[in-house]
Amino acid sequence: MTPLLIGQIVLTLFVFVMLLNSAAVMVYVERKVAALLQQRLGPWRVGPRGLLQPLADIVKLMFKEELRPRAADAFLFALAPMIAATCAFAAFAVVPFGAETTLFGWIPEGLRLQVADVNVAILVVFAIGSMSVYGIVLAGWSSNSKYSLLGGLRSSAQMISYELSYGLALATVLLLGNSLSLTEIVNRQAGTWLGFIPRWNIFFVPVGFIAFLIYMTAGIAETNRAPFDFPEAEQELVAGYHTEYSSMTFAMFFMAEYINMVTVSAVATDLFLGGWHGPLLPESLGWIWFLLKVAALLFFYVWMRWTLPRYRYDQLMRFGWKFLLPVAVVNLLATAAVVLYFGL
Amino acid sequence: MPPLGHYLVLSAILFAIGSAGVFIRRNVITILLSIEIMLNAVNLSFVAFGRAWGTADGQIIVFFVMTVAAAEAAVGLAIVISLFRQRESLNPDMFTALKW
Amino acid sequence: MASFYLLGTIAVVASLLVIAQRNPIYSVLLLIASFGALSGLYVLLEAPFAAVIQIIVYAGAIMVLFLFVVMLLNAPHEETEHDLRLHPLVRHGPMGFGVVLALILVVELALALAGSRPDRFGSAAATSVRSIGRALFTDYAFPFEATSVLILVAMVGAVVLARREPR
Repeated sequence: MTPLLIGQIVLTLFVFVMLLNSAAVMVYVERKVAALLQQRLGPWRVGPRGLLQPLADIVKLMFKEELRPRAADAFLFALAPMIAATCAFAAFAVVPFGAETTLFGWIPEGLRLQVADVNVAILVVFAIGSMSVYGIVLAGWSSNSKYSLLGGLRSSAQMISYELSYGLALATVLLLGNSLSLTEIVNRQAGTWLGFIPRWNIFFVPVGFIAFLIYMTAGIAETNRAPFDFPEAEQELVAGYHTEYSSMTFAMFFMAEYINMVTVSAVATDLFLGGWHGPLLPESLGWIWFLLKVAALLFFYVWMRWTLPRYRYDQLMRFGWKFLLPVAVVNLLATAAVVLYFGL
Repeated sequence: MPPLGHYLVLSAILFAIGSAGVFIRRNVITILLSIEIMLNAVNLSFVAFGRAWGTADGQIIVFFVMTVAAAEAAVGLAIVISLFRQRESLNPDMFTALKW
Repeated sequence: MASFYLLGTIAVVASLLVIAQRNPIYSVLLLIASFGALSGLYVLLEAPFAAVIQIIVYAGAIMVLFLFVVMLLNAPHEETEHDLRLHPLVRHGPMGFGVVLALILVVELALALAGSRPDRFGSAAATSVRSIGRALFTDYAFPFEATSVLILVAMVGAVVLARREPR
C-alpha cells in the first residue's frame, strides 16, 4: 500500500462522489438560472435562498413508489437505467482535471489527477459515449409503451447521427494536439502567443474555433439537451423513453443526463479551453481554473436550454446530417492543411 | 501471458459457435449475428498473430475486417427489411422461390 | 493469465447463448457482452486501438443497427408449433447435423492449432496508434481508399434496398 496506491483509490472515490454532487448542484443551478432568465425567483423556500432544493428533490424521489408496467420486460427494464448511469460515470474516468500533484511531498512520484491514464483517452470517451445509446433504446423498448418506444428510437437515432460530427471534431483536435492522450493535449495548450493570448485550441482561429462550436453542438445533441431534446420533450411525447420510470430509476436517468453534460463540458475544457492552465495561479492550483471553465460551459448549456426553441425531429436530423457533418469534414481538411503548411 | 496457442483455440471455438449458429438457426437476424461472431473470431486471431510477430499489421487488418463487416451488416439488414415486407416472416425457409 | 480465462469464458458463454436464445433482442445484447469480452482480450494483447475501435464500431454502431432492425420489425418468434417442443440446439434432422458438424470443426481446429509449437509471446515492440496510422496511409493506402468507396456503396445500397416503393 504505497502512498501512490492510496492516493489513487482516494482519487477514484473522490471523483465518484464529486460527480454525484455535481448532478445535485446542476439540479439547483438549472432551476435557478431558468428562473432568473424568466424573471422569477425559482427555488426560494427550501433552505436559505432555495439552496437545499436538490436535497428535497432527492428525498421526494426516494419516497416515490417504484412502478413497472406489467407487460414490460423486467430484466431489460431494470438494466436500462443501470447502463445509462454506468456509462455516464465511466466516461469521466479518463478525463484529467488537474496537473500532476505530489500532495505536499507525500507522494514523491506525483499523482495524476485522472482516474485512469490511458494513451487513447479520446477514443475511450467516444467509445463509452456510444455505449450510452443502449440505455436509452432499451428503456424505450422494454417499457412496452408507444410513447417510450418512439422516444427511445428517435433519441438513439439522434445520438448516433451526431456522434459522427462529434468524432470529426475530436479528430480535428487530434491533429492540433498530435496525440490521443488527453493529458498531452492539455499540456500542449500551456503558454501564450504574443504574451497575452493563451495557447488554447479555441483561439486557433478559424479551425479551432469552428471545431469547438461543432463539438459543443454535437455534445448538446448527444446528451439530449435542448434545443435537441425533442425525444424527451414533455409537450411532444409525454416524457419519451423515461415515461414509465419512476422514483430512483428515473433519478438514475436524470443523473446520467447531468453527468453526461459534465463529462462533455470537462472534455471540451481539456480539448479546447486549455484544461487547467490559466494565468495568475500556479500549476498545482490549476484545478480551480478547470472548475471555473467547466462551470462556464455548464452555464452555457443551461442558458441554451432556456433561451432557444426546440428543433423538430426532422429539422434536427437534417441539421445533423446535411449541415453539421459536411462542416465538420471540411473543417478537418482545413485543419490538416493548416497543420501541414505551418509544420506544427 | 498465455501462449499463442490458447488464443488460437479460443478463436477456433468462437468460429465454430458462429458457424453452428448459421447452420442451426432459422431466423435471418440470428444468422447475421452468427456471421458477426465468426468475423470476430477471425479478428481475434489476427490481433494475436500481430502481437506474436510484433507488427502493427494485425490491427490494420482488423480495421479493414471491421469496416467490411459494418458495410455487410448494413446491406444485409436492409435486405432483411425488404424481405420482411414481402412475406412478414424472418424464416429463411419461406424464401425458397428460386429452388428448383 | 486469469483475466484471459475469465474473458475467454465470457466470450464463449455469451456466444453460445446468442445462438441458443429464442428472443432476438437478448441475442443482440449477449453479442454485445461477447464483444466487450473480446475488447478486453485485445487490451490483454496490447492492442488498445483495436480494443477501442471494437467498442466504437462493433458494439456501438453495428449492434445498434441490429437492435433497431429487430425493434422495427418486431418479428414474431421463428418457430412453428411443431418445432416449439424441442429447443433449437437439440433438434433432429439438418439442425442436429449442423451441431455435429460444428463440434467436429472445433475439435479439428483445436487439434490443428494447439498441436503446433506452443509459442510464447516475445516482448514485442509496442505498436502505437501513430505507427498504425502511418502504415494505413503508406503501405495500406489502396485498401484504405477502397474501403471508403465500399462504405459509400453500402450506404447508398442500404438506403435504396430498404426504401418503401412510393405508391
